[in-house]
Amino acid sequence: MFFLSRQTVGRHRHLYAGSFVALAVGVFLLGLAATATAATIAYRGPSAGSIAVTTLGGDGMGPQRVSVSTSDQDVSGLQTVLSMVGAISGFITIFVIASTFAFAVASRRRELGLLRLIGATPGQIRRMILGEALVVALGASITGAVLAQLATPLLLAKASYTELAPVKLEPASPWVPLSIAVGIGLLVALLGARAAARRAGKVGAIDALREASLEPPRIGPVRVVFGLLFMAGSIVLLTLIKPSSGEAAVPLAMFTPMLLVISLTLLAPLIVPVLGRLWAAPLVAWTSVSGRLARSNVVAAPRRSASLAAPILTISAIAGSMVLSLSFAADSAAATLRDGMLAPIVVTGGDQAKVAATPGVAAVDAGLPVQFVRVSADYAQLEDAEGIDPAVASRTRRMTPVAGDLTALTGNTVAVSKEMSGFEHYRLGDEVPVTFLDRTTAKLKIVAIVPDAFGINPSFLLPLELARAHAPAAKPERMFVLPATGTDPAELVQRIEGAVPAVAWDAEQTAGVRKGNQLGLILLLGPAALYSAIAIANTLLMGSLQRRQEFVTSRLLGATPNQIRRMVLWESSLVGMVALSLGTAITVTVGVLIRHAMTAGVPDVPVTVPWGILLGIAGLCLTLAVGSALAPTAYILRVVGRETMVHQRQ
Amino acid sequence: MTATAPSYPSVVPDAAPALVLDGITKTYRSKAGGVDALRGVTYHFPRGSFTAVMGPSGSGKSTLLQCAAGLDQPTTGVVVLGGVNLHGLSEVALTKLRREEMGFVFQAYNLLPSLTVYDNVALPLRLTGKRPHRNDILGVLEQVGLSDKVKRRPAELSGGQQQRVAIARALITKPSVFFADEPTGALDSNSSRQVLTLLREATDRAGQTVVMVTHDPVAAAYAERVVFLSDGLIAGHLDRGTPGQIAAAMSDLER
Ligand SMILES: Nc1ncnc2c1ncn2[C@@H]1O[C@H](COP(=O)(O)OP(=O)(O)OP(=O)(O)O)[C@@H](O)[C@H]1O
Ligand SMILES: [Mg+2]
Repeated sequence: MFFLSRQTVGRHRHLYAGSFVALAVGVFLLGLAATATAATIAYRGPSAGSIAVTTLGGDGMGPQRVSVSTSDQDVSGLQTVLSMVGAISGFITIFVIASTFAFAVASRRRELGLLRLIGATPGQIRRMILGEALVVALGASITGAVLAQLATPLLLAKASYTELAPVKLEPASPWVPLSIAVGIGLLVALLGARAAARRAGKVGAIDALREASLEPPRIGPVRVVFGLLFMAGSIVLLTLIKPSSGEAAVPLAMFTPMLLVISLTLLAPLIVPVLGRLWAAPLVAWTSVSGRLARSNVVAAPRRSASLAAPILTISAIAGSMVLSLSFAADSAAATLRDGMLAPIVVTGGDQAKVAATPGVAAVDAGLPVQFVRVSADYAQLEDAEGIDPAVASRTRRMTPVAGDLTALTGNTVAVSKEMSGFEHYRLGDEVPVTFLDRTTAKLKIVAIVPDAFGINPSFLLPLELARAHAPAAKPERMFVLPATGTDPAELVQRIEGAVPAVAWDAEQTAGVRKGNQLGLILLLGPAALYSAIAIANTLLMGSLQRRQEFVTSRLLGATPNQIRRMVLWESSLVGMVALSLGTAITVTVGVLIRHAMTAGVPDVPVTVPWGILLGIAGLCLTLAVGSALAPTAYILRVVGRETMVHQRQ
Repeated sequence: MTATAPSYPSVVPDAAPALVLDGITKTYRSKAGGVDALRGVTYHFPRGSFTAVMGPSGSGKSTLLQCAAGLDQPTTGVVVLGGVNLHGLSEVALTKLRREEMGFVFQAYNLLPSLTVYDNVALPLRLTGKRPHRNDILGVLEQVGLSDKVKRRPAELSGGQQQRVAIARALITKPSVFFADEPTGALDSNSSRQVLTLLREATDRAGQTVVMVTHDPVAAAYAERVVFLSDGLIAGHLDRGTPGQIAAAMSDLER
């Protein structure tokens, strides 16, 4: 069948050009993430800045010697971002490739039927489709890898000396990372093609004879079951995992929409016609014939429409969910700050003694930032902690323990946040083995578990003396000031250098969180959005180019070019609206559930919905979809006009 | 019209028929309700015969052909082709039977547009896993009068030429039964004559069996027997009729 594959790839150039572009860009992004990760792995920080510790072992794992980097010349931030970019790109690639191949098969039903008629077995058809996919995938993956290799130095130059990687990164050997990217590309293509090939194998000989190459509307029970399972799974995930901070929400806001996208795609043949009809109602009412035609084209071929809608659905769901969830995370951070703070005044960068000596100051809560390596069963990690005077701190911040007693925070003891104790199953009286940066080791006994207060308290609170002993050079980053009774805080703020009202400090912190989120979103979604834009344009372009014959026939029947253009306009808008409604449903589900988890127990959390960005995403998707459906239509209509409308039989 | 040798073996009880239809019914189920396209058709197509099937539009001719060729399953009834009962055959077994024993010629959309004439004709052999012999292919192409169009693609041929390529493709596997659904439906009389002559020759020279659905009495007259279908049932037949007689029988039927 290989000779046929070769011939038909040539014939269906635009179908395969679409798959080629989609896969090449996907492999390019994956390859870039991989080479950059290789560069970060190859990077050796100053060896002085790391501490070697032995993990505790347990759960079938022996103790292990690990080295934890303590310098700020750390590239793990970049690594995290790169792995997420890789995950998103990989997911979208799988999706786009699967739907492009599915589309290619749906568009060739008749031809496949003909092959079956003259004696091709279902197995031969399957192998033919797989063979075609292999030809395309090989070329596309290698192209993508070569482009990634060319772009790597550029990316590394951009990434060096940034917040995420405050060092100079050099390209590492590209062979391993690029082989991985090419391998993933081929695998993804073959997986996507396998599903398409299976469907192609089901095309019957009789399909060559039936006039309309319409797909059967049936949808298998297995598919429905899996669709529902994925949906249930992601909802359970969302309700069970309770992210309490933006950082914890990001992976959840990224992966659960993926599961929901898979679920809705499986159910698409059921959902698309219903939604299509719904959105078409106004069109049918407003337009004479074009709206009606658009509706039947979308509704009668749910699989084809679903393929066209897939990239729009994917990116709108993922981008929407992340944007909304992170905005809600910032809302929750703002509420936590507001609730966690009792002191009315915050001083940054001042001198503790001078502040304390200011008349009208009753108490200064000057926590000392300190770091230690916490040793766990199978890993060790650098943690941020703060040395506090519990007598003062419990008056400036809300830290009434949920268990234990803060007055016991003296000597080798520690208070941990509720979230951390949940993660690590820490209980009162447990001893946490740590190594301080001065390389002394200690076992810290847990004397209290305090409520989470992100932005105010780190996960570990130490006695002030312990912190000072192990970090003699540490200086407080900010001080919380309590005015004496009878002193007006507003007036006191004027008299302390570097002091601001707590409300202003809160607002500034929240703005910082939002700004950080924005940067993260751009880094994570930028490549994915670019890829999706290409994929959206790609699929709709393919869709329109495929319809040359239909347009010719319509022209012969007396449809004006304008009528055809309008039909395509409505049709692509319809597909876009269907995809966006599903994307919106996912965004709302994920956003609401994540918000619910993050704000449980916190009253009066502000609601900030980034309407501008969300509507921008929707508008962009729609514009791209309509534009890339209309452009080839206009082209075809022009060519058809020139050919003086000779009706070609084949 | 060239007189055809009356080769219809009306009574040859011991020669197994090429194709047997026994009590075929076909009901299409659709949202609008069921359609009884065939309501009990029993017929034996003798080996080496050329049979035309005629009937008003919607009478079930195409359905009959599709069921007979195993492209679609009859709702009830049995189809036996070359001694093989099609019922219960796997898709692969059916496909193999199709590519070895059957040839198809339909009104249009018959050829793969991406392949040249040569490759289109060679395709069934390649699908069988056989290496096509160049001379065989050039031979059938000469037989259908297209020796000079070997390298063309379907879009560069006239409708009649395309139809002759389809016949060449059907001939190359030396099938025992040809199924043709309005093979001349889109052709002018000259092209029609060429196509029909080719089918006629298949029965006369090679003893192959032809079942042809047509609306055209002139085309039907190439067959030694015309079977009339009406409303899903066989309404009668006419042996060695002239175009005029066949047309008259048709208009009787449609009344
Ligand atoms: N796939 C199908 N689904 C539902 N009904 C069908 C289908 N195919 C055919 N029919 C119906 O079955 C009946 C017989 O159709 P068939 O195509 O066999 O007619 P025909 O004799 O070939 O007509 P024509 O001369 O117009 O080609 C018709 O009433 C038709 O509407
Ligand atoms: Mg018919």
